[in-house]
Amino acid sequence: MTASTINNRDDLISYLHVAMALEHATIPPYLTAYYSIQSTTNSDAAHIIRVVAVEEMLHLTLVANILNAIGGRPDLTRPGFVPSYPAYLPDGEDDFTVDLRPLSPEAVETFCKIERPGQAPRADGRLLRTPDSGSPVLAFSPTAEGMRFYSIGEFYAEIIEGLEKVAADDPKLFSGDPALQVGPEYFYSGGGAVIVVSDLDSACRALRFIAAQGEGLDSGIYDADGELAHYYRFRQLQLGRYYQMGDAPDAPSGPPLSVAWDDVYNVKVSARLADYPAGSELAGVARDFNAAYGAFLALLTRAFNGHPGLLQDAVCDMFRLRDGFNLLVRNPLPGSDGLHAAPTFEIPAAFGADPEAAPAAGASARGVTR
Amino acid sequence: MYAKFPEGAAKRTDPTAASEVLYDAVIVGGGIAGALIASRLGDAGKRVLILEAGPAEDLTLRGYESYLDRFYSATSKDNQSPYPVAANAPMPRGTDARRIVPGAPDASAYIVQSGPFATDTTYTRVLGGTTMHWEAKTLRMLPEDFRMHTLYGEGADWPLTYEDLAPYYNEAEREIGVSADVKDQAYLGMTFDEDYVFPMKGLPLSYLDRMVAKDLDGMPVELDGERRELRVRPFPQGRNGIPNPAFDGGKGYVPRGAVSTYQVEVGGRCQGNNNCVPICPVQAKYHAGKTLAVALQSGRVDLVAQAVAYKVHVDEQTRRVTEIEYRRYDRPDSPGFTTMRARGRLFILAANAVENPRLMLASGLRSSSGLMGRNFMDHAYLLAWALLPEVAGTFRGTNCTGGITDLRGGRFRRRQAAFSVDIHNDGWGWARGAPMTDLIDLVDAGGRYGESLRQGLVDRVSRQLQLAFMVEVPANPSNRITVDPAYTDHLGNMRPILTYDIPDYTMRGVAYARQLSRRIFARLGAEDHTAYDPNFWGYAVHAGEGYEIRGGNHLAGTHTMGRDPSTSVVNPDQRCWDHDNLYLVGGGSMPTVGTSNVTLTIAALSLRSSRAMLAQLDAETAPITVTSTGAGRRQPQEVAR
Repeated sequence: MTASTINNRDDLISYLHVAMALEHATIPPYLTAYYSIQSTTNSDAAHIIRVVAVEEMLHLTLVANILNAIGGRPDLTRPGFVPSYPAYLPDGEDDFTVDLRPLSPEAVETFCKIERPGQAPRADGRLLRTPDSGSPVLAFSPTAEGMRFYSIGEFYAEIIEGLEKVAADDPKLFSGDPALQVGPEYFYSGGGAVIVVSDLDSACRALRFIAAQGEGLDSGIYDADGELAHYYRFRQLQLGRYYQMGDAPDAPSGPPLSVAWDDVYNVKVSARLADYPAGSELAGVARDFNAAYGAFLALLTRAFNGHPGLLQDAVCDMFRLRDGFNLLVRNPLPGSDGLHAAPTFEIPAAFGADPEAAPAAGASARGVTR
Repeated sequence: MYAKFPEGAAKRTDPTAASEVLYDAVIVGGGIAGALIASRLGDAGKRVLILEAGPAEDLTLRGYESYLDRFYSATSKDNQSPYPVAANAPMPRGTDARRIVPGAPDASAYIVQSGPFATDTTYTRVLGGTTMHWEAKTLRMLPEDFRMHTLYGEGADWPLTYEDLAPYYNEAEREIGVSADVKDQAYLGMTFDEDYVFPMKGLPLSYLDRMVAKDLDGMPVELDGERRELRVRPFPQGRNGIPNPAFDGGKGYVPRGAVSTYQVEVGGRCQGNNNCVPICPVQAKYHAGKTLAVALQSGRVDLVAQAVAYKVHVDEQTRRVTEIEYRRYDRPDSPGFTTMRARGRLFILAANAVENPRLMLASGLRSSSGLMGRNFMDHAYLLAWALLPEVAGTFRGTNCTGGITDLRGGRFRRRQAAFSVDIHNDGWGWARGAPMTDLIDLVDAGGRYGESLRQGLVDRVSRQLQLAFMVEVPANPSNRITVDPAYTDHLGNMRPILTYDIPDYTMRGVAYARQLSRRIFARLGAEDHTAYDPNFWGYAVHAGEGYEIRGGNHLAGTHTMGRDPSTSVVNPDQRCWDHDNLYLVGGGSMPTVGTSNVTLTIAALSLRSSRAMLAQLDAETAPITVTSTGAGRRQPQEVAR
């Protein structure tokens, strides 16, 4: 076992900032695949991707609650919070990256890799050296220079151990303002519920829930509530059949499902603003989307800093983001061989960062920028 | 959490094999009444067969989305537009209504209308029944609605009181998943158990509701010497909202989402789409498929669909029902069918207040009271529409979130009908087809396009205010469902014939509603655009004034309950006075319709009756010898209530 990389509250806060960035970083790829699906087609695939994306939003909220509970300041507006795609994943392999892709076998393959159950093959294998290719990494150690995690599950296991250790040394660890907590009434649909974090027990429950919902690590393919883990949800798209209770991981036996890979807007993979013809109407729409997304992250930041009621407004904003997605994916991108446009998630700087938010987590920011 | 529909359950029961089974109960109709009774009997270990007229398809998310696709692409967005038309189990459609020429019944659509008043009332014949298209308003009836004759000398008294039904209202609200706050719903005598909370917190009033409330709240109204102040009040709704952690003594409530054979995560909460009627895009609105899915999981509930009941067979001596003969069609669009029979200890007709009496009358069972099919009721809707002085966000929110309920009860009911008033978040949609008609007009007459069209549409619709007055219709024996062998459907089933007129009592309420709408519009500074077209199919004249009257699809009263077999068709348990093992359940049993949408009351009555059915089944433990000519064993005990 390697020595813990979390030794005090500041380390924890750094890790939780990374965790928020990590949870968020999975959302643009899921949304890109989801909105690339042509309306009234691919019901199965659309619902599977949608539920995972929605639950990532729950995870983001849970991490914000933990961060608030120990006196951190969630901030989704700091530079680099949104990674530059393609970005590396921390699953122990260096040979694939997370792109913004239309629904495709490649996209589903990547989603399975993101959510894949993964315990390090050796007890000391949790931390690995980061690759040198220059692509950003989603989950890395903010405190051990140049190191990253074998899997998302291992990343959370490190935080849980660190939390237990720091809490044992510091009885005042959970001294955050309870008014900052987002309560269960705000989470809409999907599996699971928001856990209000006030102590070590609730913090660990929230973290274990995140890990289990993604990967089904210890709990098999279904969790205690009977919910299928994300990894297995995506596997259904590869295996062409739904799971049902009692199934073995590689042999789903529920109703069949099919994917119409062609009923998809073939959007350019990880499009950049530079791919858009300068000055075109389409480029304007892409820029507007990025600005709206930046503003949305700023709204979430305020919601996580004492104004949870703003999450109601965020619902309307999400419908607007959907409209923005639709404007782009339905139009071909000039000069890209018939490929369609898609949001680039290049968030302009200075998007209403909460002036009160801590400048915090410089270390964590570094890892997710290019 | 989603409601798992067991894969294959819509087809797994072989009708031939099922005809050899003596079920504890055979239920006709897979709507809310049938689903609730099946679930409760199944839970108690009884074997149940449901016969459903609609297509035999498992309820899956994909199947539900095919309803949605049909709705999105339909030109007419009426209540039935999402649901497949099956000639073998035809459905009335709102678009069927024609003005009736005296003496010439309109037989152009499924319901033959002999008038004199034409109605556009509908019901849906698919698995889940009319709860597929209902709006999910779940008002309880007022205590006084159960005692109309005693209190006001109008209509009938129920053999039950509000207090008798209250525990079943509670249970129905849990089953449906009602969002409401007790503080908003405790009015006009409606009481709730101490510490009662609804499963979910009340849904918020829409922006439009609040704009109206700003000027309307406190408006004084004097009627029959009683003064009251109007206010905009939120409606209780069978749509998923925020679970109330205090529900069930602090155990909380988990909303029931979409129904599917595979795990899905939608429908946990209402998203504020504006087409609750005819279909909620995400299944946040309750429909009976949610109850049915759970009932089918027990394995004790069988379902045979594409099964249209043809005749109720009765033993000549005992008058007990021996079997239900049904026609099972092979395909929804072809005329081929097989005649099958279903046998059971108990038989439960849970079709609806039109189909129940239709089947009974087609079977020659007129009730010794002579009342089978009589006392048909619906609500008479009067619409009034206006433009508000400022933008009020019309079309935001669900179909309807709030309204005026202060005139649901009171002494005035001695002379005129009561009503509840809806504020429609879909603007002039019901009255004049907004926003589609506005769009067409802007394009065709205004030559608008692009940005100017978008803005023009917003300008026009966002100030629209439509009030819908839901006026009670009292029981009247001459408003009735009959059958005639001259009118049959594809399968040879006799079609329902409706004879219907709007009583003066109701028309006095309608006239008052119109007068009140003028005062409300004046108080709001709204420009009244209401105009009733004399050529409208539901045009009715009262005291020299004409009104457009529409149906509410709140079917009631065709087999009313009572304590006296000579003046009612069913007893308070909804058991037929004439046939000891036959229950007619649903709105048809209601002696008055009051001013609440009927589904919640239907659900409460069904839950109450399921107790009586279980008691009867337990009392009649020995198997009954049933043949088409043989005698039944003995008279059952009167069921305790």
